[in-house]
Formats: sequence, structure tokens, C-alpha cells
Amino acid sequence: MQYRLRTRRDAYRGAQWKRGSLRQGRRPLTLNLAPMIDVTFLLLIFFSVTTTFKRAEGFFSAKLPQDAGRPTVALPITPVIVRVQQYGPNPGDYRLRLDNFLNAPATFDELSEFLANVQNNPGFDADTPVVIAAEPDVAWDHVVGCWNAAVRAGCKNISFGR
Amino acid sequence: MIMRAPRYQHHDIAFNMAPLIDVVFLLIIFFTLVSTFASAENIRMTLPTPDKSKAQAIKIVDRVVINCQYAAPVTTGGTGRVLYSVGPNPPEDLDSIAQKLAAARQGNPKLKVIIRADKRLRYEQVRAVMAIVADANIQNLSLVAHVAAGEE
Repeated sequence: MQYRLRTRRDAYRGAQWKRGSLRQGRRPLTLNLAPMIDVTFLLLIFFSVTTTFKRAEGFFSAKLPQDAGRPTVALPITPVIVRVQQYGPNPGDYRLRLDNFLNAPATFDELSEFLANVQNNPGFDADTPVVIAAEPDVAWDHVVGCWNAAVRAGCKNISFGR
Repeated sequence: MIMRAPRYQHHDIAFNMAPLIDVVFLLIIFFTLVSTFASAENIRMTLPTPDKSKAQAIKIVDRVVINCQYAAPVTTGGTGRVLYSVGPNPPEDLDSIAQKLAAARQGNPKLKVIIRADKRLRYEQVRAVMAIVADANIQNLSLVAHVAAGEE
């Protein structure tokens, strides 16, 4: 039987065998990206499924009378009463009228200009009450359009009325 | 002269994931930035879209949202109905909503009411809601419309 002296190289390879690097072969250290990609794709799918692009919503502030039946406008002040009337069956068949004024704006742009110009007359200003009196059949879209025209004109005291 | 056979170099075929991950991360960052999670009380409907809208996108606290949905007519030539609901709750009649409003007003005197109404509704259908809000002695009311396109 032939024995060989145990050298330092033998000892090193023995240690390698024990910790497994010699048995499995030498592999470079790598980062396992698969779970991260899984989670990332899940997030992507979640966001792409749940996202709906829509226009932002905004508010028009309004005030309601505290007691029903009480006039909302002080009597000495002459309010600007904007009437929205429905004259046909289609939602677009509406017209605008202004009490005590001869001018009848045809569109909300014209109404806004008119209300802005009215504020320059004596006895009228931005605090002059603007009452929107819409007929029951008028589309809500036009009522809001009327309110928006008054806000655009700088009116600060807008309310609903009959 | 010694002829040598051509030496082929063996390379491992690898799929380069880096650009894919880059794009996916970019998409995730995009979606996280642009996403605003819709509130359940804001039921999907066609809101009024006035020209050059001055509606202000502000945050209102202590609020009750009353949704007025448009229900298309079942028969041709019929008129559309309206479905009233408080927040994300199922539709109910106005009397029931009025009772809830009165109870909520007792608990919170600073209560504000937000009316979200479909633009196809008639004014009288929305005015009925305003009437019960006034009856509940609530003064602060807000009407909802889309804001202008450039001010989102």
C-alpha cells in the first residue's frame, strides 16, 4: 500500500469538497431576477387594468335659502334674472332671456359678456344678484352652462329662482 | 503547411432582460404618477361640461354626495328616468334621502351637500333634490361639472 503525504493543496481541495463548491462546480454568483419581474409585471397589470383616464371634476358653490318661501334677494336691489326656456322637444332647443333687458344673448358666451358689461352700469356691480330661472324641462347641462357663464362674468351672488 | 480547422467559439445564448425591465419600470412609474383612485361615491355618469368651465377642483370635507343618475328610457320615444342615491349606496326615493339628510344635518351643522347630476336630466329632476336639501336646512350646496380641459 502506497501512501502519499498530505500536502497543503490536498487540504485546500478537501475544504472545497466540504463546502460543496467542488462538488457542484464553480458557478458565478448571480441575482435571481425572476421574482422581481413577477411582481413588477403584476403591478403593471394591476395599474393598466384599474386605470381609467377621465376629466377632473370641479364644483360650483351655491347657497340655498334657509327657509323655503322667503325671498333670497333683498328687494331694493334689482337682480338680473336670466331665464332659460325650452321651446322644442330636443335638449338643444333652448333660449336665453333677461328680465328688464332688451338684449337676449343667444349663447352662454354672449350671456357671459353681457353679464360682465352689466356690471359697468350704475347700480350694478359684481355683487348684484344674478338669478337663474330655468323652466322645468330645460336640460341640466344648460342650467350649469348658465351658472358657469355668470361665474365667468365675475358675478359673486348667483342663485336659482323661479 | 499545416491546415488548421476553424475554431468555433461557443457562447451561451442569453436573453438580455435589462431593456425590458427598464420599460416596465417606466410604465409603472407613469401609472403611479397619473393614477388617482376614483372615489366610490362618485358614480360614473355624464356630467355637464360647460364651455370654458370655471368649476373649481377643490376638496370639500364634511360632505354628502347625492348622485342623480340618468336612466335611459326603456321604450322608444319614452322619457328618461332619474335615479337618486346617496354616495355609493343603491338608488332610493327622495323621501328616504331627505330623512338621511335631516339626520346627518343634526349630527353636523356644517354639513355640505354636493349634487352630482347627469347633464341629460331635466332641471326639475335636479331641483327636487335642491328642495329637500333646503328643507333639511342645509345652505351649503355645490354643483358638480367638469373642469376646463387645461386645468385638470
